[in-house]
Amino acid sequence: MTAATLAMQPAPRVVLQYRDVRKLYGDFVALSGVSMEVERGQVVCLIGPSGSGKSTLLRCTNALETLDGGELLFDGVPLPRDPASIRKVRQRMGMVFQNFELFPHKTAIQNVMMGPSTVLGLSEQQSRARAEALLVKVGLSDKAGNYPANLSGGQQQRVAIARALAMEPEVMLFDEPTSALDPETIGEVLNVMKALADDGMTMVVVTHEMTFARRVADHVVVFESGQIIEQGPPAQIFDAPIQARTRDFLGHLGWDA
Amino acid sequence: MDFNYDPVLQSWRFLLDGLQVTLLLSGGVAACSLILGTLVGLARRYGPQWLRVVLVFYIDSMRAIPVLVVLVWIYFALPAITGWNLPPFWSALFALSFHLAAYVAEVIRAGIESVRPGQVRAGLALGMSGPQIVRKIVLPQAIVRMMPAFGSLLSLAIKDTAIAAVIAVPELMRRADAVAGQSYAPVEVFSTVMIIYFLIIFPVTRAVDMVYKRIAFLGRS
Ligand SMILES: Nc1ncnc2c1ncn2[C@@H]1O[C@H](COP(=O)(O)OP(=O)(O)OP(=O)(O)O)[C@@H](O)[C@H]1O
Ligand SMILES: [Mg+2]
Repeated sequence: MTAATLAMQPAPRVVLQYRDVRKLYGDFVALSGVSMEVERGQVVCLIGPSGSGKSTLLRCTNALETLDGGELLFDGVPLPRDPASIRKVRQRMGMVFQNFELFPHKTAIQNVMMGPSTVLGLSEQQSRARAEALLVKVGLSDKAGNYPANLSGGQQQRVAIARALAMEPEVMLFDEPTSALDPETIGEVLNVMKALADDGMTMVVVTHEMTFARRVADHVVVFESGQIIEQGPPAQIFDAPIQARTRDFLGHLGWDA
Repeated sequence: MDFNYDPVLQSWRFLLDGLQVTLLLSGGVAACSLILGTLVGLARRYGPQWLRVVLVFYIDSMRAIPVLVVLVWIYFALPAITGWNLPPFWSALFALSFHLAAYVAEVIRAGIESVRPGQVRAGLALGMSGPQIVRKIVLPQAIVRMMPAFGSLLSLAIKDTAIAAVIAVPELMRRADAVAGQSYAPVEVFSTVMIIYFLIIFPVTRAVDMVYKRIAFLGRS
């Protein structure tokens, strides 16, 4: 990177910084001592066994959960606590859920327009134009008028991605976006995500799709029992993991390190 | 046994006017209990703690007291205590609505609670505010999901109006009673009344079911 391009980037390089993050449910420790960074334009994949705290970390990231310890900085600023500022932060992060969570009473395009029209206050015309462009981007312009009930799982998830993108977020959070899908529709969702990554979107992705993580991630974080057991570039994690537990976890998934 | 339908035929105008009162009262009760019940249901779900306590007490008492007792109390006891004298029709409208609204409130609350928490999370993740989420995501789905229950309450709203006969509201049942008493033809008169109630309510519940079948997917997340 040249000095000129650096000067044109006033925003900090690190978008998300987790410092010793701790989260409790009652006396159950869901996260402890979690420290990691997400840089602008990076794809960070979170992997690890069920119940290891990956979803919890994502929900802490956009303040759907509050931290019980440590710090979480977004663009260098700690996550706020008052509802209005929290909403402002959430507007700058997109989230995609395992179960899509499309609004069943809205058509595909109305789902995508929900954010721009209610939260950003764009006019009907402006939000429609934005939504149409996004549906083209995820390859669903011909399904704009369909209700979620009349879309396949893969199509629903692509609409959900478009809905999140409609807020023009700086970061996209994905929580197992393909886990609820039939095998034959997983590819179409991963392709959309790959294209997003290629466009330079900053992404945090919880996934069990190791091939995707290997190919697309810049950084992989391995969770177990609420802690990070290992993190590093995919080449390290998948080809030469340092921790035996990482090797065990990948071995269970049928991945030979 | 010989059937004599002359009394019914001779007083058909009188009965028809009664039917009109029945329908007016039913419509009024349905509308008032829907409005009151929705407010109570929302306040019970989203309101401050003290209000919730009051509303739970109201809902529980309405479910524990027969509607006839509420009606009679409001018509005979309330004026004695407060000095307000409501005419029978208005007393009935007030009592029946007040009673049914408790059930409406419960249906509203159950409908709201049956919407998946993930839907709220999806709204929050977009940066929507609580009231926006309730208005644009939760309530529209809840209303669809509540339709079958509302269908039953609507038929209840119509049926309950017959109770207003005891405070001399000149609705269908009251007038049928009068005709039957004068003509000594209770079988014919009350059978007719039964059929009339059935013919009004049956299509209503059927229509609600049919509409629900067609739009159920709008509330299924
Ligand atoms: N709201 C909650 N109340 C109590 N415990 C919770 C809550 N949410 C999560 N947990 C617990 O916290 C732990 C971490 O959960 P989390 O959903 O973050 O796991 P995960 O890594 O995403 O797993 P999965 O791969 O199954 O999605 C689990 O043991 C879970 O039971
Ligand atoms: Mg999870």
